[in-house]
Amino acid sequence: MSPEVPPPSRRTVLRAGACGLLSAAGASLSGCGFMPAKKPDERDLAPVRARVDGDLVYFNWADFVDPSVFKGFEKEYGVKVIQSNFDSMEGMVAKLNAGNRYDIVFPTAKWAQRLVRGGRLRRIDHSELANSHAVFGKHSYFADPWYDPGSAHTVPFTAYKTGIGWRRDRIGDLTGSWKDLWSDRARGKVFLLDDRDEVLGMGALHLGLDVSTADPGDLDRVTASLATLRPRLRGFSSDSYNNLLNGNALMTQAWSGDMAAMLNQAKDPSVFGFQAPKEGTPINSDCYAIPYNARHPGTAMLFIDYMLRPENVKKNIEYIGYPMPVSGSEEIYRALVKPFPECVVTEDDLKADLFFRNGSRAQEDARDTAWTHVKAG
Amino acid sequence: MTLSPPSRGPRRGRRAPATRIWTWFMVPGTLWMTAFLIASLVLVAVLAVGTTDSLGNPRFGFDLSSVRALTDPAYSHVLLRSLGYSLLTCVICLLIAYPVAYTIALHGGRFKNAMIAAIVVPFFANYLVRMYGWSVVLSDDGPLLRALRSIGLADSGTKVLNTGTGVVAGLVYGFVVFMIIPLYAALERLDVSLIEAGRDLYGGPLRTFLFVTLPATRQGAAAGLVLVFLPAMGDFVSAQLMGGPDQIMIGNLIQDKFFQGQNWPLGSALTMMLMLVLLIGMLGYLRRTRKDEAEARG
Repeated sequence: MSPEVPPPSRRTVLRAGACGLLSAAGASLSGCGFMPAKKPDERDLAPVRARVDGDLVYFNWADFVDPSVFKGFEKEYGVKVIQSNFDSMEGMVAKLNAGNRYDIVFPTAKWAQRLVRGGRLRRIDHSELANSHAVFGKHSYFADPWYDPGSAHTVPFTAYKTGIGWRRDRIGDLTGSWKDLWSDRARGKVFLLDDRDEVLGMGALHLGLDVSTADPGDLDRVTASLATLRPRLRGFSSDSYNNLLNGNALMTQAWSGDMAAMLNQAKDPSVFGFQAPKEGTPINSDCYAIPYNARHPGTAMLFIDYMLRPENVKKNIEYIGYPMPVSGSEEIYRALVKPFPECVVTEDDLKADLFFRNGSRAQEDARDTAWTHVKAG
Repeated sequence: MTLSPPSRGPRRGRRAPATRIWTWFMVPGTLWMTAFLIASLVLVAVLAVGTTDSLGNPRFGFDLSSVRALTDPAYSHVLLRSLGYSLLTCVICLLIAYPVAYTIALHGGRFKNAMIAAIVVPFFANYLVRMYGWSVVLSDDGPLLRALRSIGLADSGTKVLNTGTGVVAGLVYGFVVFMIIPLYAALERLDVSLIEAGRDLYGGPLRTFLFVTLPATRQGAAAGLVLVFLPAMGDFVSAQLMGGPDQIMIGNLIQDKFFQGQNWPLGSALTMMLMLVLLIGMLGYLRRTRKDEAEARG
């Protein structure tokens, strides 16, 4: 600043600042989810017919659909697929709550329940989807799942479970238990997923407790038990497949889909193993859902139906490595994960019902505190 | 800085008409900062005493439970670790940056700008990408350890990734340029005849450096320390990609609260706590620079 000109007085600056502050605060208060959100009209939640009503605004994890499936959809219906991606469920919901409009989103079971309860999803009439019988007719679990009674707002997309991935070439065989994570053979080269529910869930299952427990006594036991695992850990990371591939991990908690994807990358799959421990494996699924404020719900319905066509199911399974509860695709997946048969999600796995559940605010806080203690030591 | 004579006395009273224009020039910047910095800060401060609804959405309110949760020793423990890592990062950055800036400023000749560009350009790449690259370089089967093993400086058990060394290395790499630039600016401005004078007065190279060069560039170093310390304290990427379970930093915990925890109020309370600590540090810095300015004015 030139010394020739005295700086503007403090009051001038403050006055300018105050104006800005007021207008900014006004804008932020009216726009985002900090205030009780308006309940959508019943009209916005009613099912719609499957027909072209515009381009498809698609919102999902990156790389979760074979690009050729998008191309086929665009060509057949003469619409464009406008893609955007999220990197976490929290981020997805935050964007929805901020008023962004998508035609189709892909929440996991726990988040689907929250969105359904919050009145954020449009109902889906299964009779509008020609291919839906392959899902609901054969996989009875999804005809009436806990997260969305009667699957009234959702159609299941993929399912997966959490187990242990390991380097068979370096540490041999495991015993099929979560206790293997404590094994001295991998000491110092063990990773846990950087995920609160997965880590607390593993700790609970290994002690024979409920996978989503929020009981303070249970959580204390889980935290104490995980504290004995901590000195053996190398870190918390959800990049399990790279960690195994590059040798930083000899053993890691891992999602079945990532392990199936790793099979694609590995030169010799026999050096790896994946087990679904006998004490129980957390199970999860995600689903197609249409937000209440979608501009083109009809196109979204067509898209769901298109994705459920057998040839597209096959393409997507081979592309992403996650099984889909669509009748006729089971064998395709079994063949894909031949070296890791435990990646397959069976009806019995689903019925064991080890899904992570939503808790009350107090329960979520208790789990959050436990996670902080596990992570920060 | 304050090289020109301070404008005191009669000049102050006679406000040039130009002043008003300068005031207006400040309006866009002030509005911008107010809207995006101060308003969001106010939101964070207010949310620290807020609550969440059943969907995990933050709601305004008055609830001190998040503030009370800060007394959990896990937070102070991690905060102290972050302080330690950040201070260490500052010291290492200073030790690396000083010789680099000195060489370029005083012996760079016509390559000065090219060399500064060579240092700055890699920093155009996204921080996350660079950190990810580092995690590959430092991994067990990565180039660094393979090279060290081949010359016998490491054995098969040696690891850098997921250790404190890895995290500090990441922080230093991430922020060293913020130290080099202010030091370079200070050294560039340094009047070389002062060094010559020091030598003329029979000061050896070391004495001249310690009593002439170093004090003259003290302000550049102080600015660099602040520029490195602040982002290092808030960083979570380095600890996430290069740390293990015992290297979690306060930034990781804050990030957890905003994402997995869906507990924005607690995340906000932690942010305010971190800012308070940083503010105390900054006050020390501001007092120091004010003193320096006062001394310069005589």
